[in-house]
Amino acid sequence: MKRKSFLQFSAPSMLLMLALLAFPMVMTLWLSVRNCTPQMALVTVQQTGPFGAASVTTQRAKVDASGRALQDCKFVGLSYYRNILGLNKTPADREAAKAASASDDTAAATGDGHNEFIGALRFTLLYTLVTTPFILAGGLAMALAMNHVTRRLKGLYVAASLLPFIITPVVGALAIKWLFRDDGLVPHLLQQVGIQVFWMAQAWSAQLLIILYGIWHVMPFAFIVFYAGLQGVPQDSLEAARLDGASRWQQLRYVTLPHLAPLLVFVTLIHLMDAYRVFEPVLVLTRGAFTTSVQYLTYSVLLEENNAFKASAAAVLTLIGIGVLLIPLLRRTWREQRGTH
Amino acid sequence: MKSKAFVSRIALHLGLAAWLLLACLPILWMLLISLREYVDAFSSPLKWVAPITFENYRRLWVDQAFYLNFFNTAVVTVSVVTVSLTVGCLAGYAFSRYRGSLGFWLLLVALAFRALPHSTLLPSFFAMFDAMGIRNTTFALVLVLVAINQPFTIWMLRSFFMHIPAELDEAAQVDGCTRAQAFRRVIVPVMWPGIVTTGLFSFLLAYNDFLLSSALTNGEKMTMPAAIANAITAESEALLMQGVAGAVSITIPLILLVAVFQKQIVSGLTQGAVKG
Repeated sequence: MKRKSFLQFSAPSMLLMLALLAFPMVMTLWLSVRNCTPQMALVTVQQTGPFGAASVTTQRAKVDASGRALQDCKFVGLSYYRNILGLNKTPADREAAKAASASDDTAAATGDGHNEFIGALRFTLLYTLVTTPFILAGGLAMALAMNHVTRRLKGLYVAASLLPFIITPVVGALAIKWLFRDDGLVPHLLQQVGIQVFWMAQAWSAQLLIILYGIWHVMPFAFIVFYAGLQGVPQDSLEAARLDGASRWQQLRYVTLPHLAPLLVFVTLIHLMDAYRVFEPVLVLTRGAFTTSVQYLTYSVLLEENNAFKASAAAVLTLIGIGVLLIPLLRRTWREQRGTH
Repeated sequence: MKSKAFVSRIALHLGLAAWLLLACLPILWMLLISLREYVDAFSSPLKWVAPITFENYRRLWVDQAFYLNFFNTAVVTVSVVTVSLTVGCLAGYAFSRYRGSLGFWLLLVALAFRALPHSTLLPSFFAMFDAMGIRNTTFALVLVLVAINQPFTIWMLRSFFMHIPAELDEAAQVDGCTRAQAFRRVIVPVMWPGIVTTGLFSFLLAYNDFLLSSALTNGEKMTMPAAIANAITAESEALLMQGVAGAVSITIPLILLVAVFQKQIVSGLTQGAVKG
């Protein structure tokens, strides 16, 4: 294909990605070093009531002719980055923290030197490190077990396994939440054997639930990929190993696993990227009370603190993280695809 | 020796049965409690048997007008799948036939975009859509979801197009077709299985999206997942039970999807560059 027709065919797709993926990324960078506040004006209003007239002076946002609020924007450098990384506080934050600690101890928890980003990153990494081995081992075990199952049952197992995988993540997380509610099924069953845990009332159990959700949601993916891979294991190599007296474990270790190695790497890389984006279970199961993830941090700063500029700083830090994570995947793809081009 | 094999066989089937139970339990439990009144759904001690009622569904679909959210989801998903496939087929075809290094580098960039955490784009989307006056419109949400969908759509369709020999294009062109005609009349017709599989994954991505849909729509424009966000924080009993009914309502079409398209989903997953 000529370069010109390549460009013609791919133009709509490229333009969409340029406008809605690449451009917003650059814009985030720009937003993260700025801050805008609505312009306020003192307005004196005459109020007439049953007890005579009074003039009240209040602050109001200035608007332009079309009714849009006028904004004062200024360059603030890296101060939101320092803020998110807990390096220093903006004067406004310091005052808020002072006021909060005077009136209310709970608010002080969000106060000085609190490193929101590292906290979010720490749990994101914990989630990744804990779920990955379970997903790989569980998926592999299921795929191997499938070889001993009749064709009819296979269809049932595959269909049932697909459900947790394709279910809407927010619904899946809610389903887990309702199962583990204090008056739900699992606490009830655990109580029968004398264990009482208030799953969503403390950090360790809430984090455990997020991890359980992750394994439940992603293991089927690993299972299906490995199962497909197993169909391609050369049967004559297995036969030869058997004739040479290899035990089942040795057949697995020296014939099957080496054959599956590229798929193990593939599932791991995909899961690393997806685990870095963990969001729905964090929102649903803890509402950020005990734990946050990097995606959740941007989301909550933007929608709960209502600060698009600080959220942009969190977003840029998140993007730096994914950039680092992507290096091995890109290198692998680069090596693979170089041959086809 | 024989009894040992028998024992391991039993263990294997028990293990698989346990997984079957674990995989389905959260969904089955959700289905069960959605058919109960709050006092029966969450009670202490737990009730194994309770009267069945469709009241939660009636309140949600009739009183809360959940059919509007269903309609929004239908519009969004159908639009996203249609536009994604149209735009993606053109690009996927181009990437499968072009040999230059530009194509290679663009594919790598697309792969990097696929890993993008979606929330990082939100601050800019807010600013952009506010400036254009299209915030809280279905149009903006569809565009965003199509763009997010593109990287994996291109990768997947490209891998399907690679399986179609380039001789087929050449034969068509020798017979007097232009490149565009060859694509439309010869290549696309033999591509249908690949297009269906890719479409399924585009559908899942649009249908399952919560983060972007809930942030970019509100009020009457909300899709189903965005609408049940209330259930996350719901303290009131009625709201919670409506959330349960909503969660089941969202899941039922997905169960039908697995029943009908199981083969395509499995083949799509094993294609390689997949999983949105």
